[in-house]
Amino acid sequence: MEKSPKKFYNPKADVRAKLAIVMGFSTIGVFVQHLYVLAFILLLSVIAAFIFKAELYKALRSTKNLWYIFLIIVVLQSIFIHSGRIFLQIGSFPVLTMGGILKGGEFLLRVAIIVFSATIVSTSNSREVVQGLIQMKIPYDIAFMVSVAIRFLPLLRNEIKDTFTAIQLRGIEIKKIPLKKRIRLYLYVFNPVVAGAIRKAHQLSVAMEMRAFRAYKGRTSLLHLKFCASDYFIMISMLLFTAAVFVIYYYLGFPKSII
Amino acid sequence: MQDFIEFKKVTFSYTQDRMILDCADLSVGRSNFTAVMGPNGCGKTTLGKLLVGILKPDSGEIILDGRDVSGMNLAQIGSIAGYLFQNPEVQIFANTVIDELSFVMKIKGIEESIIDKKVSEVLELLNLSAHKNSGTFSLSYGEKQRLALAGILINDPQFLILDEPTTGLDIERKTILVDILKNLIKAGKGMMIMSHDEKFINNFSGTILKISNGKITKEIL
Repeated sequence: MEKSPKKFYNPKADVRAKLAIVMGFSTIGVFVQHLYVLAFILLLSVIAAFIFKAELYKALRSTKNLWYIFLIIVVLQSIFIHSGRIFLQIGSFPVLTMGGILKGGEFLLRVAIIVFSATIVSTSNSREVVQGLIQMKIPYDIAFMVSVAIRFLPLLRNEIKDTFTAIQLRGIEIKKIPLKKRIRLYLYVFNPVVAGAIRKAHQLSVAMEMRAFRAYKGRTSLLHLKFCASDYFIMISMLLFTAAVFVIYYYLGFPKSII
Repeated sequence: MQDFIEFKKVTFSYTQDRMILDCADLSVGRSNFTAVMGPNGCGKTTLGKLLVGILKPDSGEIILDGRDVSGMNLAQIGSIAGYLFQNPEVQIFANTVIDELSFVMKIKGIEESIIDKKVSEVLELLNLSAHKNSGTFSLSYGEKQRLALAGILINDPQFLILDEPTTGLDIERKTILVDILKNLIKAGKGMMIMSHDEKFINNFSGTILKISNGKITKEIL
């Protein structure tokens, strides 16, 4: 059989190497509170997502509604955190300050880092993710639950979409009804979605029991993931990079922020 | 008389390599019965979803009651053409039957006495009066389907689009459904039923639209 030429750059990296990237970027994103560093990490996570041919636009589109909530949080953060130059104040109460705006910006960058870096893992299929977790010594039950959750989310999203469509087809223009009634309406939408999710979860658990899930302690698998040189390179680079960022951030210090 | 539904050179595909619908001009009358038939996956549900604006055509125009569907929102479409989903559970929202039928009107701010009258009428029409105070989740599949249909009828749409309404129903429940639908047709409602159940469709007279390889052909029932 003809061997394919070995490439050092491999966009189809092992899922564990991809998880290392996600964990590295997300950890920096969560702990580091510095606008420039977060912006730089976001840039790196977008570049990494491009290299792995992740569907960034699809991720942005599917989280479209969440971004509105994130933006509201940014505004709230800007209002409730007071430091630095004051841009707007009501009486003696500062409403918009430089510190607040920067904190809001940091929050937005943090969320964007987590979302964009997570798209890298989505380039592997759910079976590979489960196998990767198992080979990382994560118990099979938990790894399987992760894969079920990955499969469940699009189903849940479709169900929510169908429910919203159905309620609008009943003659309700959601955008035109007052807020109080709209909240009541959302509670109605919640009903079939939660019921559907519980029903699906129950059916899945019965189907799994019927196929003897957890009947035996050990579980073998045909799929076995193997690291190649590029995977080791990615993981070691990511570990060193994350460590370097933390050492600089906590011990050496980045340039002061612009407050 | 003006047609209620008009398809003008409508094409639709989910992926670039497979055309689901490629239909030349097609029209359906206001009070006609129309059955859309064809094997699983031929595009029956897609046709229904295009009609009510859930899906947008790749090209062409769909006219509903003289208006282009692309310029209407779902609420406007739903007010003139009721759509019954293949899975009725996605369109049951409330915990009790009576609440399910009244909540839309309550949100619209309709008077209680009118709501009560309408709910009683629809419950009777769909043979659900005995379940008035029942929980929606304790209903059988057939009852849920009738409840979903009741939820549509309470808005008094001129036309009904029913996607595979016989799925999961036994012969007795199918007979009940046939009687209800015949009564609705008698009352002047236009109806389009997507189904692969030929026996069920043979209970009605009207037009059959057969879908095969994305093309639609018209036959008389």
